Amino acid sequence: MHKIFTALKNSLFPQQPPSLSSEELRNIFTKRYQNFKNLLTANNNALQAMAELEKMYYGGESYRMAAVRSKVSVILINVYKMIQNLLEMSEGKYSELVNTFDKITNELDALIETKATFDQGPFILPFNEVDRNERDQAGEKMANLGELSSLPGIQVPQGFVITSSATRHFLTAEQLTEINRLLQVFDPENLDELYATCEKMQNIVTKSPLPPDLEELIHLHFNRLEKQTYPGCRVALRSSALGEDTAGVSFAGLYSTYLDVNRDTIIDLYKKVIASKYGPRAIAYRRKRGYRHEDIEMCVGCLVMVDALVSGVTYSRDPSEEASEVIRINAIAGIAKGVVDGTKTTDLFLVGREKPFAVVYSEMRQNAQDHSTTAASLTYSQIKKLAETALQLEAHFGKPQDIEWSFDHQGELYILQSRPIAFHKKELSKEKTAPSASSENGDTPILFGGICASEGIASGQAFLVDSREEMLLFPKGAILILKHPLPEWAPLMGKAAAVLSENGSEAGHLATVAREFGIPALFSLQNSMTHLTNGQTITVNSSGRAVYEGRREDLLRQKSVRRDIMAGSPVQRILTESLQHITPLNLTDPKSTQFKSTWCETLHDITRFCHEKSVSEMFNFGKRHNFDKGAAKRLIGDVPLEWWVIDLADGIRQDMDIESKVVRIEDIVSVPMKAIWKGISAFPWEGPPPISARGFGSIIFQSTIRPDLDPSVASSLTTKNYFLISEDFCNLSVRLGYHYAMIEAYIGDLLTENYVTFRFKGGAADMQRKAVRAKLLADVLQKFDFRVELSSDAVLARVKKQPKEFLQQRLQILGYLIQHARQLDMVMNQPQAVEQYRLKFQKDIEEMLNPKTSAPIEEPRS
Amino acid sequence: MNNIEQTHKLLLVDDESDFLELMSKFFKRRQIDIETASNCMDALSLIELHQFDVVVMDVHMPGLSGLECMVEIKKIKPDLEVIILTGHASLHTGLNGMKQGAFDYCIKPVDLDELLEKISLAKKKYALGKSNDNS
Repeated sequence: MHKIFTALKNSLFPQQPPSLSSEELRNIFTKRYQNFKNLLTANNNALQAMAELEKMYYGGESYRMAAVRSKVSVILINVYKMIQNLLEMSEGKYSELVNTFDKITNELDALIETKATFDQGPFILPFNEVDRNERDQAGEKMANLGELSSLPGIQVPQGFVITSSATRHFLTAEQLTEINRLLQVFDPENLDELYATCEKMQNIVTKSPLPPDLEELIHLHFNRLEKQTYPGCRVALRSSALGEDTAGVSFAGLYSTYLDVNRDTIIDLYKKVIASKYGPRAIAYRRKRGYRHEDIEMCVGCLVMVDALVSGVTYSRDPSEEASEVIRINAIAGIAKGVVDGTKTTDLFLVGREKPFAVVYSEMRQNAQDHSTTAASLTYSQIKKLAETALQLEAHFGKPQDIEWSFDHQGELYILQSRPIAFHKKELSKEKTAPSASSENGDTPILFGGICASEGIASGQAFLVDSREEMLLFPKGAILILKHPLPEWAPLMGKAAAVLSENGSEAGHLATVAREFGIPALFSLQNSMTHLTNGQTITVNSSGRAVYEGRREDLLRQKSVRRDIMAGSPVQRILTESLQHITPLNLTDPKSTQFKSTWCETLHDITRFCHEKSVSEMFNFGKRHNFDKGAAKRLIGDVPLEWWVIDLADGIRQDMDIESKVVRIEDIVSVPMKAIWKGISAFPWEGPPPISARGFGSIIFQSTIRPDLDPSVASSLTTKNYFLISEDFCNLSVRLGYHYAMIEAYIGDLLTENYVTFRFKGGAADMQRKAVRAKLLADVLQKFDFRVELSSDAVLARVKKQPKEFLQQRLQILGYLIQHARQLDMVMNQPQAVEQYRLKFQKDIEEMLNPKTSAPIEEPRS
Repeated sequence: MNNIEQTHKLLLVDDESDFLELMSKFFKRRQIDIETASNCMDALSLIELHQFDVVVMDVHMPGLSGLECMVEIKKIKPDLEVIILTGHASLHTGLNGMKQGAFDYCIKPVDLDELLEKISLAKKKYALGKSNDNS
């Protein structure tokens, strides 16, 4: 280090005596250099966390609020560090960044940390006082039911709602604190832990006494209901949560419903319904769909039991096809429980949506399975009544409805629930697969038939689950094989590739959840438990109602694109709004008059600003200390781009003319820079790839070339590609067109301190193509021993603690890649182009690292 | 410079005894001299007795919190670098720690390589500060 600074002092202050002692200069420089490196590290960390946040957002997979909070926290802390380091480097210049940062922090805090507030209302609402406006008190389900009870010709069971205000009155702050503590500490991926924690949370609820006033009020309303109906009346206790049953998010069957409840059991069972918010099904579902626990408030509907003759579910349009012109009715003798919990097979009727509501298709599955009779469970007049009601409810709510109903023994129709249908369109890459007894190549399926409960194609190893113990062993990505599609298997829906069940229909809760999660489900598939064995690899084509032996690539190519499971969730909304304060980049052009700290609007703006200014500050260090002359030199080489070199210490040959505004690669003694340059200049760039929008490609190409190079304009240095070098250090920032790349390396004598870091992000194409290019680079780098992290269009590759020669070769590879990956994103929608470049990169790199020894070696001219 | 090298010492403060035990083993295997404390008062006593150059401290502790403890530490040893450990609980915890003078932070569960790297940087900064003081 001492040698570096002595040389620095001698070479940079030849004419003027330094105003500082060499020791003082060394300390100042060391500190500034440390600030600069800290700032670069913080910049990398912030950009990495931003990329990870975007990956979560665009990835289509579920993510939790804790992950959002953690990533935002990492970004904030690193941006804060950048500001602090820049302020130290610039002696307080740009202090207004602190205010901008505080403002953004407060805005993010308001989005991420603010808790929902609820208005206090009555503990109990009679049904005739409930409509959609009361959903904050009555929950979605009961608010809908209350509203439709006032419609002409619609009957709902008599009853009342125990409101969300009652729940808040019941659960004390201490109980909720303990529940929240339990929620934060368990690992939801571990099903064993999930069940144990849920039991603890549910015990807190069920073992707490109800406040006496609430208990008295429930009994009072129950007595009133008994007087209005019949002595000893029985009720159904139905969960009705705030935020459930909204379009696309069903929460189907996740909370408890209790039937035949009497005066003696109503209090305990009410508590059990409330406790079902903390059940394994509900926790796993909320986590998967992006709901925080505090987003859900439980209410309970108390409805007189219907003496049901026949029950079922009506979809006013087919849930698998939004534009369908049929009403789908699933019916079963007795109460509707068997339909929705998946234990019973139902009769199916597809009915035209126009009068006279003709039955266009029917399957008498129920009786066929029982081998008793072939009689239909519904008469035509009942079907007609159901169809008319379905259209009436659809018209009232303005959306297709999923309706649960019962006919009593007197022939009266009661509506038990009505909610919007969660449509999940699937886009098959080829034409939709028709039911078929053979696959594309003619192979016979090992199982065939059943009811398609959720369309799709998936492959994996079969895993039979018939008990809680087996459930805990279920491996991620396996095909779930069940006897009955019970709602309690819902926690596995986040892990399963597909679901097969010997019973059940498309109207069950598990079928609804499978459709929401985009998991293929084939129900009422006879003998699936006996024909399939654990570990057997199979391919399920639920749309074609077939199961094939082995992994069938021909079918998987038709696989549909999974929907965004988080769409519309509170957590996604928070992330959407948070990202507005984080990732947009407004400060794009450092030469612009608007490239000022006061124009920073997002955290990304601040990182960009700090990064640019830190480079200037490093440069200005020389200026302030009288060694600015020639400190930034344009590199003369064969590559037609602007390359600039700032020598931090001993990176350039000491005997060269310090007044020179240009430097040749022969003058460079920085070990890492020389290695990078070797890679950059190894092969000439072939120019932009052939794309259809040639004009656009040309614009990018032109934007990277500046014929009017003016080496005297040092102020525009930060807009170019620049090397910051010392003998053993190099930081190269490259902006080629629309992407950004950074290589940083330290290659010294101490193995433990050596490292090479590479970052690459951006491009001119859409996110998908940019991501494909990033993946291509990641694959190549991985092949050459880099540890690679990939997030959307961002690549972070690292290799450290390796010998000098090894790292020099890695830098050559990076130099080659930044030169040759330019503009490739424009053609990354063509699989053959991706493959072509992959092979080219590998071939060139191999050739570069292992040059043919037979080739004549040209001696450098002296 | 040599004196600082010889007195490299890490203080780890956390109320979870299992965590302290696990981390002690981890650091000792890497020849890092480590002392542990399970609360702020013990940590302050140890800082009076020993020459530490980095403190790693959990934010959530009974009694004085990690951040309050850090403020007390800075009163005794302003240059001593503190790395705080936080959970996911709040957006502000880590940031407040940084604003109050923490050198860096790590989110629990801790990535040990990341923590080692941060300890190493903190040591360098502490050494640099000392070196500047001595010059």
